[in-house]
Amino acid sequence: MLGRRAACFGRWWVGFALAALCAGTATAADIKLASVAPDGSRWIGQMRAGAEEVRMRTGGRVTFKFYPGGVMGNDAQVLRKIRAGQLHGGAFTSGGLAERYSGMSIYGIPLLFHSQEEVDAVRAKIDPLMAAGLDKAGFVSFGFTEGGFANLLSNEPIHSVEEMKRKKVWVPEGDQMSFLAMQTMGLSPVVLPVTDVLTGLQTGLIEITFASPVTALVLQWHTKVKYITVLPLSYSMGIFAIEKSTFSALMPADQQIVREVMGRYLGKLDREARDDNRKALEVLAKSGIQTVTVNSTDVEGWRQTIESLYPKLRTRSDVDVPLLDQLLTVLTDYRRAHPEPAH
Amino acid sequence: MVRLIGAKAGEALSAAILNQSDPELVGSGMPAYLLILDGLISQRPQNPALLSAGAQLFALYGSRFATAERAVTLSDKARRYGEKSLCLVHQPACHWRNIDYDQLVTELKGVDVKSIGPLYSYAVGWLANLQATSSDWTAVAELPWVQAVLDRTLELDETYEHGAVHGYLGILNSLRPPALGGEPDIARQHFERAIELSQGRDLSIKVEYARRYARLVFDQELHDRLLNEVLNSPAEAPGFTLFNVLAKQEAQILLTTSKEYF
Repeated sequence: MLGRRAACFGRWWVGFALAALCAGTATAADIKLASVAPDGSRWIGQMRAGAEEVRMRTGGRVTFKFYPGGVMGNDAQVLRKIRAGQLHGGAFTSGGLAERYSGMSIYGIPLLFHSQEEVDAVRAKIDPLMAAGLDKAGFVSFGFTEGGFANLLSNEPIHSVEEMKRKKVWVPEGDQMSFLAMQTMGLSPVVLPVTDVLTGLQTGLIEITFASPVTALVLQWHTKVKYITVLPLSYSMGIFAIEKSTFSALMPADQQIVREVMGRYLGKLDREARDDNRKALEVLAKSGIQTVTVNSTDVEGWRQTIESLYPKLRTRSDVDVPLLDQLLTVLTDYRRAHPEPAH
Repeated sequence: MVRLIGAKAGEALSAAILNQSDPELVGSGMPAYLLILDGLISQRPQNPALLSAGAQLFALYGSRFATAERAVTLSDKARRYGEKSLCLVHQPACHWRNIDYDQLVTELKGVDVKSIGPLYSYAVGWLANLQATSSDWTAVAELPWVQAVLDRTLELDETYEHGAVHGYLGILNSLRPPALGGEPDIARQHFERAIELSQGRDLSIKVEYARRYARLVFDQELHDRLLNEVLNSPAEAPGFTLFNVLAKQEAQILLTTSKEYF
């Protein structure tokens, strides 16, 4: 646009992993991967850098081909293309991969975590179990990248569940977990694809939406809302995964290189994501969005309301109940060792 | 697309620069022009035309010929010159820094076609600054604001600068894939119109069309066709030569990486 240095605006996409694209025939060493992140984004940039290192270190035996920008469609479409042998992997949302392995959805349970510290404690123990479950489901992952906590975005300040009851609240199309949570809270969710939210806010079809600060900026929702309620509503992450049969066809030494290199790059993206969300939140405030803080009584109200959701989750086929129990044990242990300050 | 920044930068200055076929000469000689322009502006700080020229030339040099670090400073000056130029001809614009988005859209309706030059320079200076600071979340946050300014400029006169505004809007609409709220089809329409309005003489539009849109939607046929058209067209065209030379260099690089990308 403005110069030979192509404008990347690369940070937009950090932590916002989805999936996507087409291919043709593939060899075991030519791994075709889809992502919704556009070329020039930091995510794709890091993955390409990792791919180049893999290519060099394997003497060209393992190469990656990226299909960026969502040209392969959404998570479900990418999974279908993987099944058909047109693709070998991609970057998915945790919810998107839950179709193949139900354990992937549990971090997204609303208000599960009280803080980033709790996320760290849980992920240190549960991420490896999740990766193992994914492996059993036929996918090899090299690391998860944080998407961050979604916060409420609205045109009137929202402090409590009660204040939400009078509003039209967005729920992403296909997000059963959020839909169930909204129903449990006695709300009337409006189901829309993510791409219709901006228009929905503009026309009044919805009055409340939720997203991480980074996502809110990328999707330009900050132009249509006035308030952000900083409450760790739900935690999201992205998963970079390759179909197991493709990965297993590589020589063991090459598998080791791919794991080490891609794991290192994904770890970097994971660490950077939190800082990105912190900075994006500051920018939202600078752009005129007012921050709403929720007092301890209201926080307790939110948590009590949502906890009635948990028994329902145990009956669902898309929730890995044993893994959820392990997660809750880790959380209980953490909270016992790190009691929250009394209010 | 870069040629757009240099346009209208004062008749003599811009003509001398834009008709050059040697980018290296321009890169090494432009700082002297910028110093002269700075001097003229300091003597006549209430002259919107000079400020507009300053906005565009500093944006041009910062985005095309300076290091990334220097581009931040140079483009900041471009943005301030653009703001001041518009402020002089349209008083409400003096208070547009940090303005609410809806308020900006409303107030832009008050800008009339007589102010299109400063309005365009304001957008260009701002865009250059956003590009130079693109690793900052503030740049991401401000994109809808600058797009609103370009939308208004287009409403006032889509033919301004041979359709340059369509080119910029093509790029902005190619930045996000549909899954993230982008509208590539709108981008395509802007690029096509920009080519039409420049009568195909502006080769940089075709390069951006290929780089932004064709790569985003994974259309290799379009990508390679556009770039081959650039390589097979003459660079010399009044007002476009410098950027056509650069466009040809970029087209060659993009074509070389086409097979690898698609």
